[in-house]
Amino acid sequence: MSDSEDHHFESKADAGASKTFPQQAGTIRKNGYIVIKNRPCKVVEVSTSKTGKHGHAKCHFVGIDIFNGKKLEDIVPSSHNCDAPHVNRTDYQLIDISEDGFVSLLTESGGTKDDLKLPSEEPLLTQIKEGFAEGKDLIVTVMSAMGEEQICALKDIGPKN
Amino acid sequence: MQGFPGGAPDPQQLQATMLAIEQACSLIQVHMNPSEAEKVISSLHSSLMPYQACRFILETSHVPNARFQAAGAIGDAAVREWGILSDDNKRSLIAYCLNYVMEHASSPEGYVQAKVSAVAARLLKRGWVDFPDQEKSAIFFEVEHSIRGIHGPNRQFAAINFVEALVSEFSPATASAMGLPKEFHEQCEWTLEVKFMKDFYCWAQAAVFNAADSILSGNASIDEEKACSAAFRLMFQILSWSFKYNVEHANSETKIDSGLRSDAINLKKFERSLVKPGSMWSDILISSGHTTWVLNFYTTARQKYSYDPLWFDSPIAASCRQLIVQLCSLAGSVFPNDSGDAHINHLMHILSAVVLWIEPPDVIASSIRNGASESEFLDGCHALLSIASFTTSLLFDNLLKSIRHYGTINLLSALTSEAVKSFVDNQNEEETWGSDALDISLEIWNVILGDFDADKSPMSVDGAIAASNLFKIIVESHLKAAADSAFEDTDDAEYFHVSVSKRDEQLALYAQIARSAADTTIPFLAQLFSERFARLSQTNGENDPTQTLEELYWLLLITSHVLTDSGEGETLLIPEALQAGFPNVVEVAQHPVVTLSWSIINFSRQCLDPGIRARYFSPRLMEAVIWFLARWVATYLVPLDVSRGQVSRAEIDNVDKHGFQHSRKVLNSFAWENNQGELVLDFVVLISMVALTTYQGENELQTLICQKLLATVVRRKHTCTFIVQLDSWRDLTRAFASGRSLFSLSGRLQRSLAETLACAASCIKDPEASVQYLKDLMGPVAGCLVENASRSDLKSVAQKADVVFMVCCLLERLRGAARATQPRTQKVLFEMGHTVMNSLLTLLEVYKNQSAVIYMILKFVVDFVDGQAVFLDSNETSVLVNFCLRLLQIYSSHNIGKVMLSLSSSLRNELQAEKYKDLRALLRLLTNICSKDLVGFLSDSSIEGSQDIAEVIYVGLDIVTPLISLDLLKYPKLSRDYFALVSHLLEVYPEKVANLNNDAFARIIGSLEFGLCNQDSDVVERCLTAVNALASYHFKERLGGRGGLSSQLMESEGSNGTLQESISSHFLRLMLQLLLFEDFRMELAGSAADALLPLLLCEHGLYQGLVQELLEKQQNPTVKSRLAMAFHNLTNSNNLSSLLDRPNRQRFRKNLRAFLGDISGFMQIK
Repeated sequence: MSDSEDHHFESKADAGASKTFPQQAGTIRKNGYIVIKNRPCKVVEVSTSKTGKHGHAKCHFVGIDIFNGKKLEDIVPSSHNCDAPHVNRTDYQLIDISEDGFVSLLTESGGTKDDLKLPSEEPLLTQIKEGFAEGKDLIVTVMSAMGEEQICALKDIGPKN
Repeated sequence: MQGFPGGAPDPQQLQATMLAIEQACSLIQVHMNPSEAEKVISSLHSSLMPYQACRFILETSHVPNARFQAAGAIGDAAVREWGILSDDNKRSLIAYCLNYVMEHASSPEGYVQAKVSAVAARLLKRGWVDFPDQEKSAIFFEVEHSIRGIHGPNRQFAAINFVEALVSEFSPATASAMGLPKEFHEQCEWTLEVKFMKDFYCWAQAAVFNAADSILSGNASIDEEKACSAAFRLMFQILSWSFKYNVEHANSETKIDSGLRSDAINLKKFERSLVKPGSMWSDILISSGHTTWVLNFYTTARQKYSYDPLWFDSPIAASCRQLIVQLCSLAGSVFPNDSGDAHINHLMHILSAVVLWIEPPDVIASSIRNGASESEFLDGCHALLSIASFTTSLLFDNLLKSIRHYGTINLLSALTSEAVKSFVDNQNEEETWGSDALDISLEIWNVILGDFDADKSPMSVDGAIAASNLFKIIVESHLKAAADSAFEDTDDAEYFHVSVSKRDEQLALYAQIARSAADTTIPFLAQLFSERFARLSQTNGENDPTQTLEELYWLLLITSHVLTDSGEGETLLIPEALQAGFPNVVEVAQHPVVTLSWSIINFSRQCLDPGIRARYFSPRLMEAVIWFLARWVATYLVPLDVSRGQVSRAEIDNVDKHGFQHSRKVLNSFAWENNQGELVLDFVVLISMVALTTYQGENELQTLICQKLLATVVRRKHTCTFIVQLDSWRDLTRAFASGRSLFSLSGRLQRSLAETLACAASCIKDPEASVQYLKDLMGPVAGCLVENASRSDLKSVAQKADVVFMVCCLLERLRGAARATQPRTQKVLFEMGHTVMNSLLTLLEVYKNQSAVIYMILKFVVDFVDGQAVFLDSNETSVLVNFCLRLLQIYSSHNIGKVMLSLSSSLRNELQAEKYKDLRALLRLLTNICSKDLVGFLSDSSIEGSQDIAEVIYVGLDIVTPLISLDLLKYPKLSRDYFALVSHLLEVYPEKVANLNNDAFARIIGSLEFGLCNQDSDVVERCLTAVNALASYHFKERLGGRGGLSSQLMESEGSNGTLQESISSHFLRLMLQLLLFEDFRMELAGSAADALLPLLLCEHGLYQGLVQELLEKQQNPTVKSRLAMAFHNLTNSNNLSSLLDRPNRQRFRKNLRAFLGDISGFMQIK
């Protein structure tokens, strides 16, 4: 199986450095991720057309910024590469909510992460606050891409013992 | 007026009501606070005895809308209060409405009049059975007088209008609801058809007859014309009635010999409704010369008014033409039982009048282009279509020959040419007369050419020339349009697919015309191709080839249609018209189909040269080439044994027609001669490779390669066995297995490519080679997934976009291969699946937040289980089942209780949609696992694994049921999957259900209830099966002295409030409700019987009580006794016993069918 080397995931020494990865426009599907105008977006619509009947195909993307929810559009020849963002989601246990709205999270290695604010919108905000007040064990999911971070989901794993 | 219902009116109150209604009506019109206004109006409709108020409004209000509402209120109230109105009241209401329309006949607000007429008609129908005959006669006596014109044209119009309303009220499709049983409506329909319909027609005839002179002399008043066109409309309406109570002649041989066809014709775009009023109508429609009179009337009138272009769209002209077209569809015993002469004469008469509307087509078409009305032309086309559907093509052609020196087909050809030209010129506009006329005329061609095929009688020489000329015009017009549009941008993909299927439909009809004159049209196409090939090779970079490319694109499409049938999913044959069309060709090299085929294929071969490819093989041209190749290979690479067999058999049949048979043989065998077949297949692989690797990002093209061309060659065994031996195929599989180039395809295409490549394994004869082939193909893919999933730094790299992309690609490929599971390849593919199982669980953990990857893992497992389930032995089963159990546990630990959020509502919707898709995949997975168990039961019920399966399913159900809400079940796909699973489950493990906790049990029962009332009969059937399983289990348990489902109680709406009762009584109530009062579909009767029988046996006491209750509710003694009889027969006839064995179930099925047939007449209410 010596050929299978070709399929190796590429992990270069500077793996953390790159925030995006080039991907051919034709292979990006609805529900995938794409960078439009330097913002990480989720693709909600893809359509194709041709420049003149005998020209090459181009893709028309409609994306929604995964952090601020704004709608962005782009047109790219389908054989060209687009930037696809690395979108990471990490779970942390919630250990504290400070008065100024910052949360304190427990990382896997046992340290804490204190640089994230509570989300501003409902219903998550209330659920976090109430759940925490009731003393439940809460896991929050933090989404990060292109240097930005945001709490995006919450899970209740039962009352604190 | 005597007997008018309602007490003595209070003038002030009447005035107040009128003002309120008027105000509400005007508010609605300006759309201010419409809901308030509607409330006011509906209060009038629902108030007690509103007749005086309505009458007051009708007579005094100046607001037409208020009068309209008042009329409607009379109708609604009277139907509702029919029981408390006295006979005098009823009569006087009808008389009042009729008088009202007569007296206000000249009122300009036609819609108010029409409404009052409709109310009169509705009330007359309501009392139809109760009123004695002489009362009805008295009403119709007045009506007849008015229609005959004795009281002037206004009253004539009003009376005709009333009869129109009456006919539509009595016709089942347009009848209004009255809350009465079906039998009542049927009885009304019957008496009207048998006793009155013909009289109505005669009155209308008389009305037209009386007005004719003054109309033709130009002295008719507007009112007279209005009445006359209403009379035509009424006649049309009567002829559109679906006559049921007539007797037809037996089909006689002589009639068929005469050239009339009696077969059922399926029209593609138009409905064909035959008018069969029966022999009773013969005198007024046929022998009295009525048709001739109508035709003469129209012909004279159109001559007289030819100076006025607006006349052709006038109501009188339009309604008269409509009647004529309807008369074309007369059929059956209305014609005397002769050898069809009368019918042919009838058609000939109509044609000789109609021909003036459509001939000469070019002159008429140009005048339409200059602004003349097109309606007469289109009506003429419709009449022609109607005639064509009654006649063999020979008779159709001959009909015109008695008055012209050419046949009808010639005329049709000229007419179609004009339609094509106009259609092509205005392609971008919507709904032009050209496209309408083209649709109709292509339909006519379809009818007459379809007949040729059936007959095997060749078309006449003129006919063939006409078709050939028409095809030339079609091709030339479209080529011109193609060249003109070459530089336009293409449309959005979604719209594109719709228009493609419409275009294909049209091209297929064109192709039919071409095939009917194949000896000239095929060489014509060959010549057009060679001109364009030459033009391309001369362009060497200076001229822009785009226009030629677009012409070639269109030519490739039409040629594919001419040479091959589309035949989705069928074995394609070489079209019969082409096999029979060249009796004189004996040399292979001379055969036009052969030369045309090779010239296109040789041209396509040039795309393998990079220089030429870059110059003129645009993605779009490649699409057409690939599409052509796929169809051609499927049709002309005939399996060798078939082609030989066919020819030798044919030779025995027809020794004398030697030349004829020889040309057939040539066509069936030329593709394989001199190794050509192998070369073509090699080319297919090469061109696929080129298109997949060098046309980056052209998804349309690559889809055609993977899903059409390669799939076609692999699906056919005879081509597949050749192709797997080719070097080029080996290169393709190697590139797929271990190269990088094919990773640039989109995920969906990698899946279908993997499926196609894996499918080919079953065509490798040597079993070991076949296994090795699959190992070489999928081994690297599975290996790569395993290797990477077990990396130590997986966590740190897994979330990177490129890694996610790669994992998705690998999963898509595995899924594609899993879908290709066949008996011969199952073992290898199971091994492949087995090696990745642990890796998949790792990935499921790592990617718990990447929904796209999770979904793909689920889908792979769904397809894997689906393909493998039937083959597995107990060890393999237990491996698979354990894996699924782990999978479900991990999935649920990640997803239960999770709250997602997002700033934007559309992102949130996306998240919902993803969850919905996951849910469906889970349902599919559970169903597939279940199906394994069913098979297991049949073969060996003592398999150790079956216990595990039950466990998996209950873990799965525990995940799934809380996520499924009744709202979600409104999505048809999801609800089908869900109910398939539930019914499956209850059949196999009823005892498990008994032990479910109350919540889970209630959820399942609740969803079953919901499903029983579903529109989708599949879903209802599944639910009935589930109820059957549940009740049968309960019955058997109780028979064995155990509790069964007795511990599970349901809240149910009983006759005296909510009560707790057992499941079986709950469903018994529900089933009876469903069978008796809903519009129950007969096709479900079998499953309903199966579900009802165990319920009856379980809850006999309750059943008796319910029946008693139902009977006591019935007021009408006849209904009561009929219902009692029906119930008695349901449980007592056919020796029904109290067992659940097969014969007893069969007997009960029979009983329930009879029961439903009995009661539907009087229990179902409209």
